[in-house]
Amino acid sequence: MASCCFSSSATNSRSIYSSASILQRIQQQHVIVSVASPGLQYNKFSLRSNSNSPSFPLAAASQDGAISTTVTSIENDIPLKKVRDTKISVAPPEESKGITPFDLNKDKSSVTITVVGASGDLAKKKIFPALFALYYEDCLPEHFTIFGYARSKMTDAELREMVSKTLTCRIDKRANCGEKMEQFLKRCFYHSGQYDSEANFAELDKKLKEHEAGTIANRLFYLSIPPNIFINAVKSASTSASSANGWTRVIVEKPFGRDSESSAALTTALKQYLEEDQIFRIDHYLGKELVENLSVLRFSNLIFEPLWSRQFIRNVQLIFSEDFGTEGRGGYFDNYGIVRDIMQNHLLQILALFAMETPVSLDAEDIRNEKVKVLRSMRPIQLDDVVIGQYKSHTRGGVNYPAYTDDKTVPHNSLTPTFAAAALFIDNARWDGVPFLMKAGKALHDRRTEIRVQFRHVPGNLYKRNFGTDLDHETNELVIRVQPDEAIYLKINNKVPGLGMRLDRSNLNLLYSTRYSGEIPDAYERLLLDAVEGERRLFIRSDELDAAWSLFTPVLKDLEDKKTVPEYYPYGSRGPVGAHYLAAKYKVRWGDFAGDQ
Amino acid sequence: MSTQLSHCSSSTNNISSCLIKKHTLLLKPLVIVPSRINSFKRVSLIHSSIHPRKDFEFKNSNGHPLNAVSLQDGSAEKSVEREPTSLEMGREESNLSVTVVGASGDLAKKKIFPALFALFYEDCLPKNFLVFGYARTKMTDDELRNMISNTLTCRIDKSANCGDKMNQFLERCFYHSGQYNSEEHFSELDKKMKVKEAGLRSNRLFYLSVPPNIFVDVAKCASAQASSANGWTRVIVEKPFGRDSESSAELTRCLKQYLAEDQIFRIDHYLGKEIVENLSVLRFSNLVFEPLWSRNYIRNVQLIFSEDFGTDGRGGYFDNYGIIRDIMQNHLLQILTLFAMETPVSLDAEDIRNEKVKVLRSMRPLQLEDVIVGQYKGHSKGTKSYLGYTDDPTVPKDSLTPTFAAAALFIDNARWDGVPFLMKAGKALHTRRAEIRVQFRHVPGNLYKNNFGTNLDKATNELVLRVQPDQAIYLKINNKVPGLGMRLDRSDLNLLYSARYSKEAIDAYERLLIDAIEGERRLFIRSDELDAAWSLFTPLLKELEKKKIAPELYPYGSRGPVGAHYLAAKHNVRWGDLSSDE
Repeated sequence: MASCCFSSSATNSRSIYSSASILQRIQQQHVIVSVASPGLQYNKFSLRSNSNSPSFPLAAASQDGAISTTVTSIENDIPLKKVRDTKISVAPPEESKGITPFDLNKDKSSVTITVVGASGDLAKKKIFPALFALYYEDCLPEHFTIFGYARSKMTDAELREMVSKTLTCRIDKRANCGEKMEQFLKRCFYHSGQYDSEANFAELDKKLKEHEAGTIANRLFYLSIPPNIFINAVKSASTSASSANGWTRVIVEKPFGRDSESSAALTTALKQYLEEDQIFRIDHYLGKELVENLSVLRFSNLIFEPLWSRQFIRNVQLIFSEDFGTEGRGGYFDNYGIVRDIMQNHLLQILALFAMETPVSLDAEDIRNEKVKVLRSMRPIQLDDVVIGQYKSHTRGGVNYPAYTDDKTVPHNSLTPTFAAAALFIDNARWDGVPFLMKAGKALHDRRTEIRVQFRHVPGNLYKRNFGTDLDHETNELVIRVQPDEAIYLKINNKVPGLGMRLDRSNLNLLYSTRYSGEIPDAYERLLLDAVEGERRLFIRSDELDAAWSLFTPVLKDLEDKKTVPEYYPYGSRGPVGAHYLAAKYKVRWGDFAGDQ
Repeated sequence: MSTQLSHCSSSTNNISSCLIKKHTLLLKPLVIVPSRINSFKRVSLIHSSIHPRKDFEFKNSNGHPLNAVSLQDGSAEKSVEREPTSLEMGREESNLSVTVVGASGDLAKKKIFPALFALFYEDCLPKNFLVFGYARTKMTDDELRNMISNTLTCRIDKSANCGDKMNQFLERCFYHSGQYNSEEHFSELDKKMKVKEAGLRSNRLFYLSVPPNIFVDVAKCASAQASSANGWTRVIVEKPFGRDSESSAELTRCLKQYLAEDQIFRIDHYLGKEIVENLSVLRFSNLVFEPLWSRNYIRNVQLIFSEDFGTDGRGGYFDNYGIIRDIMQNHLLQILTLFAMETPVSLDAEDIRNEKVKVLRSMRPLQLEDVIVGQYKGHSKGTKSYLGYTDDPTVPKDSLTPTFAAAALFIDNARWDGVPFLMKAGKALHTRRAEIRVQFRHVPGNLYKNNFGTNLDKATNELVLRVQPDQAIYLKINNKVPGLGMRLDRSDLNLLYSARYSKEAIDAYERLLIDAIEGERRLFIRSDELDAAWSLFTPLLKELEKKKIAPELYPYGSRGPVGAHYLAAKHNVRWGDLSSDE
């Protein structure tokens, strides 16, 4: 399986890495660090957390996200910030983090992961299982502790009980799963408190300190709570429960606001208490295996990059569909809608990765710089380039599927789109004129996420008589299926075996399940591990977020101001036909509707 | 609509395309067919060349030597065969007679008759057709039928009424015994054919399944005495076409005394293989390949042929030729030219063959230092012992004939300058396979270079077209191993024919026979192609023989002489078929 990171058997915090790439990364970093601040080599763990730091100052010069570092240094009223800002003047700023003279007395470090909102759904379904999987695979550092934090009164035992119910051994129920589970649960603790109470967080801090027992304390807070209490929680955690001698990082999940303004306000508020590099904005689609693989495909294969431009690519389609509706949980959704929930984040992130120029290196800042460039080259979306839909009820075979507005948690007159299709354009040299089509919907006929790249037709095709009148019907197509059944396939034209000359589209196929037997880790595992390691590649920087919102905000406002009525489509159908007309406008045909799908 | 096409069907489940036997009368509608054909996703190129040719054959096919001599090569003929008029399309029924000269031979039994039957079974032969066997052996028609029926099988999963079909087929088979160099005997054959043709317009195809030394005699007799008076006459010949430039030119010259260029169908049965046919489709009907098809992206190309058996007591013919003449100069070189040619103007035979000739003429003649030769020696594995080549009783004890050869070829044109084309062919190796491997260059400035070893060329993309066994196309790509961390891996984007197409693959001979019947010359070798091919190999072959270069011995069933690796290394190539992930 994949490389794993920390060896639980290590006697100190020296980490053992099974992956050559990580080793390499560490070696590089090791060199850099030992040059920058000799004497710190003892503490590899905290060094790793800053693995991207050498490039960060560079980014700071040019990128919005990093500019904030200088801006926020004015607001020095928060203790944590004070510590950090004094060090920022010393280059490189990141290195200063978590490294104070008395650290040197200890060569051990610990990591505490606090799940704020521990009794919530996401925590139960995704975060605790992901943490356990990482532990099972020996990916967590030797000294780690997990804290649940929520308002409910619970004992440690009750938390453990709750957590244990959702734990499974990811990889075919391998050996000593029960044992591992016991060990894991022993490291789980609970603290009950209000999200906006500094006092309660100060109590948590005391508990944390007991567990950390004088080691270099690294703390990761996972905010699994509603967006309206993000700031309060961040403020309290940062003020009262920041690590004194290690790093403190905060993972936040979408929604990051609902438009440019609210997102900017959220960012500003967060930055009162946190540095840019402490904020880990999760987009869990970036943790999906095939999204990770996208860059590998592009940049480690000679055969794709020459084709990766307007010269050869006719259009790109990003498709997300779910085969279920809100099912009684429409309260949150109705306030956001599918465009904010899926397009502005997940699909746009994939688009940016797909379309970006080759980064200088694989370092997080280099990649994120390129992604921001793509976003900033894009035209804001126009209202006439968007189609929205909402599912209505449908009866099939005696089963009645409810409409979106039948959901009790949804207002009866809601115009919130549950489906949307949009055409986007990147006005740069590589992509000028190539439509990027997005489509996302709930309650459709199938569940899938995929990237489809349709190539142009062969100029002067010798075999044109074998194709119909529309040469574009039979072009090559590269499909990267993110879910379900991860796969990569390239549609090519070939001859049907036999006499005569009949052409056919076949797939050059790589189905993951046939090539790789192991289960693919959940996106949350990857992202949690990256956050622990300080690898920011898959997290969204503030300036990225701003740029993403500025593309969507005008059209979202427009839609809401004009109270645009969504096109209704039956539950379980293929979505509103408007999506086809939108595609037709740009001479595109949705690949997921083709006869050979 | 489909029945009006001169292909047997356009239904989705019937793959084959060929002449419809019952519709030779329906010629008028054919004029409009090409435009309609598109809607069936079919190629009409075959068919557009059929009927025009009737007139053409009429003028050229009667064995008039003068006419033949005046025609230089294919490009000259085109003007003659264009522009069919409604008159030329003819309105009478015609009859096709296929005469297998050398009917009692091995090839006839194993390949030609079964292929003819398969074509008949699939309704690909014209309505009126006859099969004649011709050989020296005395045999009755019944004896021939008996011989043929022993080898016939119903190709496609023993589908219905196979027995019926077989009987119908055998009823149309006849035998005539005669000497290969006797005009008199061929004239008797002509009489028999005339009787059976029953006054229909007669088209005649002679398949020369005889040793090369009597090619010319047969061509002469058949052309003089058994040419069709009112239809076309074509002759299929099989390799060897000489053993060097001179003997090949002599053979061509002799054949052309009796036949026009367009009557000669030189078969290279590798060109009838599915994947080889598919090569042009892949290149020219997919946008994703053509931009990569040059020295900018391709590091080297490998053409690999291996058999897992030796001469096994039939070394007599082989010893006189050797693996280079037997496999490289024809099969592998033909594939190479198809691979490397520029985009032809159209898919017409002459356009394609013009491009192939250009490739051949841009190639450097082979140098001795770019070739290594090998010969297999005896080997015992377990309790079993395998004979060496020279242990074969039909092979001289001191034979230096190569049973293995590897060579580096270069095409000095703008597209391929500096790209090594490596060929490797051998008998008695560890596996049986034929494949084309295209190794791409490494990614310039690869971001993931830390994930690869020190040799970036080891993890490059590779396109593999496997001709046999298990036809497949796959593209090796680098991808991430699923899981945490970043480990890269080479996986295949795969198209395995057996998984996608359930039907049994047709035999190359079926395709080539039907093409010869339809006058489609795309897959046959033109005289100037043959000349160009020989001129690449002749100097080398002469040098090998003059210097009595001793082949490197390799054990039966091994991976061949290691010299092949050193040859590859010299050109910075690594054989793809011997890499660890194969």
